[in-house]
Amino acid sequence: MLPRDCSGRLVAELQGALDACAERQLQLEQSLRVCRRLLQAWEPTGTRASEPPPGPETNEEDPPPACTPSPQDLKELEFLTQALEKAVRVRRGITKAGETDKVPSPRSRSTVAPPGTIAFAPPQNPGRAGGRASDARPTKGPCQTTVPPKGHSERQLLSLGHKTRVGTGARAPRPGPGLRDQQMAPSAAPQAPKAFTLKEKGHLLRLPAAFRKVASQNASLWAQLSSMQTSDSTDATAAKTQFLQNMQTASGGSQPRLSAEEVEAETRRLWKACSLLRLRMREELSAAPTDWMQEYRCLLTLEGLQAMVGQCLHRLQELRAAVAEQPPRPCPVRRPPRASPSCGGGADPAWSPQLLVYSSTQELQTLAALRLRVAMLEQQIHLEKVLMAELLPVVSNTQLQGPPWLTLCRAAHSLLCEGGARVLTILRDDPVD
Amino acid sequence: SLPSGPSPEIFRRAKFDRPEATPALWQLLFRVLAPLPLDNPLASLAPEVQARLVKSALRSQGYPRLALAQLPEDGSQGSRELLLALSWLLARGPVPEQMLAQTRVPLGDEMTVCQCEALASPGPPAPQVRAEDPVDVRYVQWLMGKLRFRWRQLVSSQQEQCTLLSKIHLYTSGCHGDQSLGHLSVAEAEMLRDPEGGQQVRGFWSGNPQNLDLAYLKGLHFSCTPGMGPRTFWKDLWLVCEQPGLLLGDWSLLSPLRALLRTLECENRRLEAVLTWRRTELVFWQWMDTVLDTCAPRAPAAASQGTFLPGIPEHRGGELELVAWELRALQEELQEAAECRRAAWEAKAGGCGRGPEWSAVRRASREAVEKELGALQRCWEQDRDPAQPHGPHRLVRREDGAAGDWDLRAAEVIRTLRSQEACLEAVLHQLQGQCRQGLARLAGALPGLIWIPPLGR
Repeated sequence: MLPRDCSGRLVAELQGALDACAERQLQLEQSLRVCRRLLQAWEPTGTRASEPPPGPETNEEDPPPACTPSPQDLKELEFLTQALEKAVRVRRGITKAGETDKVPSPRSRSTVAPPGTIAFAPPQNPGRAGGRASDARPTKGPCQTTVPPKGHSERQLLSLGHKTRVGTGARAPRPGPGLRDQQMAPSAAPQAPKAFTLKEKGHLLRLPAAFRKVASQNASLWAQLSSMQTSDSTDATAAKTQFLQNMQTASGGSQPRLSAEEVEAETRRLWKACSLLRLRMREELSAAPTDWMQEYRCLLTLEGLQAMVGQCLHRLQELRAAVAEQPPRPCPVRRPPRASPSCGGGADPAWSPQLLVYSSTQELQTLAALRLRVAMLEQQIHLEKVLMAELLPVVSNTQLQGPPWLTLCRAAHSLLCEGGARVLTILRDDPVD
Repeated sequence: SLPSGPSPEIFRRAKFDRPEATPALWQLLFRVLAPLPLDNPLASLAPEVQARLVKSALRSQGYPRLALAQLPEDGSQGSRELLLALSWLLARGPVPEQMLAQTRVPLGDEMTVCQCEALASPGPPAPQVRAEDPVDVRYVQWLMGKLRFRWRQLVSSQQEQCTLLSKIHLYTSGCHGDQSLGHLSVAEAEMLRDPEGGQQVRGFWSGNPQNLDLAYLKGLHFSCTPGMGPRTFWKDLWLVCEQPGLLLGDWSLLSPLRALLRTLECENRRLEAVLTWRRTELVFWQWMDTVLDTCAPRAPAAASQGTFLPGIPEHRGGELELVAWELRALQEELQEAAECRRAAWEAKAGGCGRGPEWSAVRRASREAVEKELGALQRCWEQDRDPAQPHGPHRLVRREDGAAGDWDLRAAEVIRTLRSQEACLEAVLHQLQGQCRQGLARLAGALPGLIWIPPLGR
């Protein structure tokens, strides 16, 4: 058994690592669910869990009712068709000129008017494909009374209407939806709820205009901010530096004390230096120089590396001294996002909207796999350090003898030297009597 | 309910160290230094605790003025000092931009290239360490095995996700209004598929339901008109620092799409506020100089640290020792290798003559090597690779892989990651090697046993 505090720390670290993995896995699985669902057929919305509309089985394409339309429905349908056609005519005039941002995203409409008021004759019958004419005035009173329960589906229709419009839009812009509806309506029944897959119709989708507008504004603002950061005005920078200096002198401090963060950052840098130097050394030692000049360069490099290591050690001594003279600081409850050894810290510029462009599935997979691998390696290194700090003393100081000690040794070896993957074998070599 | 932000009046009063300005500034500092999602219990801490956290955070970042540590935590005085602390933070780094970045709404499928939010150990283990019962080392082995299994699972789930993502991007290419993007992201496609969120998995937008911002309404009220003078700064700054994440009472009635639009609009307002701030910030710094002037220059107080949170001291000392160990080991190896080579070289080239052309060649070699090593040194001294800024990037699929000047290409990122991988593997093997030696020494002390290492990789 391991001593109490050693156990505590080891278990805590490993459990933390396990929890972090589990959280990541959960996020991945959630994302996978969504992606899988997107790639399946996009179902008619009648299957949705939301409460009311009992009737409308709206979906992406022309949703037919589950049963043949009643005469009442057909009549309302006709009203609606007329309203749509009129709206389409009106629209044609308007949208020729301008922006599509009057386009009814049901969202923006709702923010303009209190929900429930519809500025557009809602489809009574599920057999309607969404019309685009939602900024036409409501033409039929009776239509509106049944709005609330059907509001839900109708909103969907509108968004779908966008898509259908575009789908048919290229060829037959305005009259498209209206006409189609008319033709479809009588033959609504035979038409199955057309679910479609992203594969077939994906390229026909269009985002709602309100969203597009806000999103493009968002993108351009971020781009402005990012370019402003990179070309920071020298006046402001100079003013800031001056201010910082003034503060330093006003506070009477001589040399800024090393903060905990800076020590951490330096330590990270030294780690990085160590590994880079080591890698370089390996390269040099394994390269077979072909001529004397290369040999000479190899020699110089090795000596140069040696000097650099010396410098690092010197810096380390300074750090050690600085740490020793300051009392141990408690860590703030929340640190800024913990920077990894590979990444720097300090006053980093904030996020900038750079795109990451890839060209094939293979490439994306490689990228993602490598990123995970790097993260995993960093975690492994951290755990290795913790294990070394906790286990090695235990192994060397333990009072155990015999089999329990051997178990400990085997376990320690496996954990420390093989990452827990393999275990060594110990054979008792009794002298033959 | 959300408290309203500090008015410009507060800041003016703080300049003259008026006590009534103090609580608001403590809060503002807290918001800046501990940017937490508001559903975190830490957000509802008592003011005294918040003040202590602020002090501690500032100290750990190296705030130079000792006066701050000596301020009472009840908010009764010290507003000028707090104002100085705030400006110090603003001067050191792009605080408003960082805060914006933290609460950004990700519209695309994003991947983080740098490891800042990596799975590496989540922060200090201190809060997690409880007085555990002593465990058997085999339990530790078991935990390790479990961890390795979870990693393997992650890898395979990740691969699957990449495939699906790639397909979605492929199938929706040509859809997006923005030409540079070209295709929809998962989030955008999902929004089209299910705008009302009837079937939606809650929290899809990485916490978006919580991102509704009461300040959105307030923000509309603060008209962000650019102006000269400190007045408008505070409005702009507060708008940015305002914590998103408050739930509107009736947000559940808003469809996720509408909530998203609202949030985006709010973010746009904040972006505009920061841009305004940046354009006119020079005036702010001039004003702050006057604030500094009104401070009586203090004699450096004794290095009394004041109160700080009871906590477990960092294990920094241990980390430094490990690095020291590593570096010393490396130094020994290098020394050996270099001396060996030097001897061989002298023996070989010693007789080759020392003509002028030799020394010219030798000098050229020296310069070349110095340059290479200088570049190597910059690799670790530079805190970051300027080509790869922090933070997640939106994934965009392009068949030809064409990327603009500002965009990252996957191939390059892969190259960088591979070299990082090599680096890290070297470190890990080194550490494991140390352990092997250490354990071998211990084992060697025992006669009568044969240690058979497992088959190597």
